Formats: sequence, C-alpha cells, structure tokens
Amino acid sequence: MKSIVKIIIILLFCVNANARERGETEITTEDGIEVFQNEKYYLLKKNVKIESDNFILQANEVKINFESSLYDIIELNAEGNVQFNSPEFNIIGSGENLQFEVKIEKLKVKGINSKVVTENIEMFSDGSIEINNLTGKFSVKGKNSKLINETILITGETIDGIFSNNNDKKEITYLNVIDDKISYVKNNDTEMYAKKINFDNEISIIELVDSVTIIRNEEKITGDYGTLDTNNNSYKIKSNNQNKVKVIIQDDE
Amino acid sequence: MNFFLYINKNLIFFFGLIIILAFLLVIFTKQINLNNIELKILDKKLSNVDISEPKFTINNDDKKIYITAKEGNFLSKDKILLKNSVSFKSNEFSIETEKVIFDRNKQTAQSKSKSLFKSKNTTIFSDGFNIHDRGNKIIFYGSSFIVLK
Repeated sequence: MKSIVKIIIILLFCVNANARERGETEITTEDGIEVFQNEKYYLLKKNVKIESDNFILQANEVKINFESSLYDIIELNAEGNVQFNSPEFNIIGSGENLQFEVKIEKLKVKGINSKVVTENIEMFSDGSIEINNLTGKFSVKGKNSKLINETILITGETIDGIFSNNNDKKEITYLNVIDDKISYVKNNDTEMYAKKINFDNEISIIELVDSVTIIRNEEKITGDYGTLDTNNNSYKIKSNNQNKVKVIIQDDE
Repeated sequence: MNFFLYINKNLIFFFGLIIILAFLLVIFTKQINLNNIELKILDKKLSNVDISEPKFTINNDDKKIYITAKEGNFLSKDKILLKNSVSFKSNEFSIETEKVIFDRNKQTAQSKSKSLFKSKNTTIFSDGFNIHDRGNKIIFYGSSFIVLK
C-alpha cells in the first residue's frame, strides 16, 4: 500500500515538474550544458529542445549568449537540423543554422534547404534567409533563393526587400532582386526575366534592368529595360538600341 | 477425587516448557535487534569520515564559491570526496548534490550524482557537473533540464 502511495506521489511530482508555467522557458538537452561565466555564453549539447510562450526550437546544438545571468538571453545560435515554430509571430522555419538576436528581433537561417514561412510569404534558399521583425527588412541570398506569396513568385541570387504588417498579413512594400545569370518574377499572368528587378509598392511599378524579357499569354518581348505597372498590369520595354526591341507573338494553333 | 488429579503431569510439564521456550525466544529476538541497533550506531560512530562538515572555497578574481558538505574523505593529498548535502554557493549561483570530488590544488570539483543548479531566474537539473577554470566554466553532464523564468 505504501509503495502504491509512493509511486502515485512520484508520478504526480513528475507530471507537475514537466508542466511549463506561463512566462517560463524550458530547455532539455541529451548531452548536458557548458556554462562559460566570464565569456557570458552557454552551450546546449545534443538534441536540444527549447520551448517558451513565443516559440519552440529544436536543434542538435545551441549556443546562447547572455547579458548578466543565464536567463537574460541576447543572442541564440542553433546548429544542425534546426526547426522552429513561433505561433505568436506566425512564423515557422528550418535550416542547418539559425541565429536570433533578441533585442533587434533579427532572425537568420543559413544552409542548404533553408526555409522560412510566415502566414502568407514563403522564403527558400540554399544560402541564407534573414528577417528583421522590427524594421520589416528581409534578405534571401544564395543558390536556389526563392520567395513566394499569394500573387508573386520570385527567384534570384539575392532577394532584398521590406515588408509591412497590414491586417496581420505581411505585405511586400519594396523589393530588389539581383542575379548575374537571370532573375525571375511571376506576377499573375506575367513572367519577367532580368538581371535586376526592383519593385516599389508606393508607385506600383516593377522595374526590370538588363537582359529583360516579359512573357504574357502568347507575347514575348525582350529588351534592355522594362517597367510593369501592377495597378493596370501594363508594361513598357526599351532597348539601348532603339531598333532592338523584339516582340514574339505566338499562336496556339 | 479431586478434579486436578485427573490431569496428566507430563502434559502440564510440556505445556509449561513451551511457554518458557516461547518467552525465551521473544527475549532472544529482541536482544538480537537491540544488538543490531547498537552495532549500527557503533558503526556510524566509527565510520571512516576524515572530515566532518568540511568547508572549502574556490577563489576567482571577482567571486568566491563556498563549498560545504556533511562529510569528507581524503582520496589523495589534494582530492577530497565530499558526501551528503554538498553545496556550492557564490553570489551568483548555488549547486546542490550528494557526492563531489574536490581538488584543492586545481580548484576543481566533479560530481556524477544528480545536481541542482540555481541562479537568478534559472534552474538546471543534471546528472552531474564539473567546475573548473576557478569556477568560470561549469559543465553539466547528461540529460539536462533548464527552466528560465
């Protein structure tokens, strides 16, 4: 009888011990922790899981820089098979490496198959994806960089931009895409190629610079410089040589 | 004829003997238990504890870590095995555990028993720890569980 009571007490204690209270952050590791008091950082080793009110993060190893005490986190570096989910900020992601600067709310995911998904924007890269939640600036760099939202698909070596939070949805207000080979933007029924593509939401213009190609329906127009007005979906193309603008109209039949 | 003259004398004798033996058995068993208790107490008194309630300090440039325990045994000239309610305390943190090997010369401490680290808004449960570099570096072993508030 006494043994049964003891087992019940132990079980109750275990259940209580594993129940995270609001405002607490729980960290579990399989291979311990190394705390460096003077250098002000600690290493969490092997199959690390961090769970707080704002996010859940899993990684093979995590380095945490702190300001005065261990709880006072200023920067987090996660290495190896990183996966995170922040229901509060509506953001999930994964990659080989993750860096998060707490004060400036800057998130950087690096490595092959890096991915960051917000409620309505998906970013992919084999290089890095960087988002500053305070300023709204983002940058996707490296091979196979890609950005997708409801109406637009962008690929390029470097995709820099700014988004704003309107009605809890992230909306791209400025975009700068550069790829020495070729950048690609697909907007509704229009496909655009150029070495450099800029978008400014204020003037609703997509600007295409160098080796420009616009494809819409059966039309294919090439030139050196082009613009597309996203309000009325009209576009213009220029060439350095006035005679060089080329239009191909394809017939389905 | 008296009724008692009908009772078998042998029966009375054996019955009395059984009662006496049972009585002796009870006393003897109690005596063994008492002897065991006395032996245990004696054993405790004569246990090979080298230091009772030892106290040490790890000195750092900017802080001191005070170490206390209930018992201590010398493993070598500098190494001491601290046992029972071992506690490390500094201005910034405390660690509690049951067994620690403390090196007076190197100012290091190593434990392979369950440990509880506490500092401001932080608690760490681990399967042991290693304090070295004069308390600057603390390694917590095994499956560890941290709670930050």
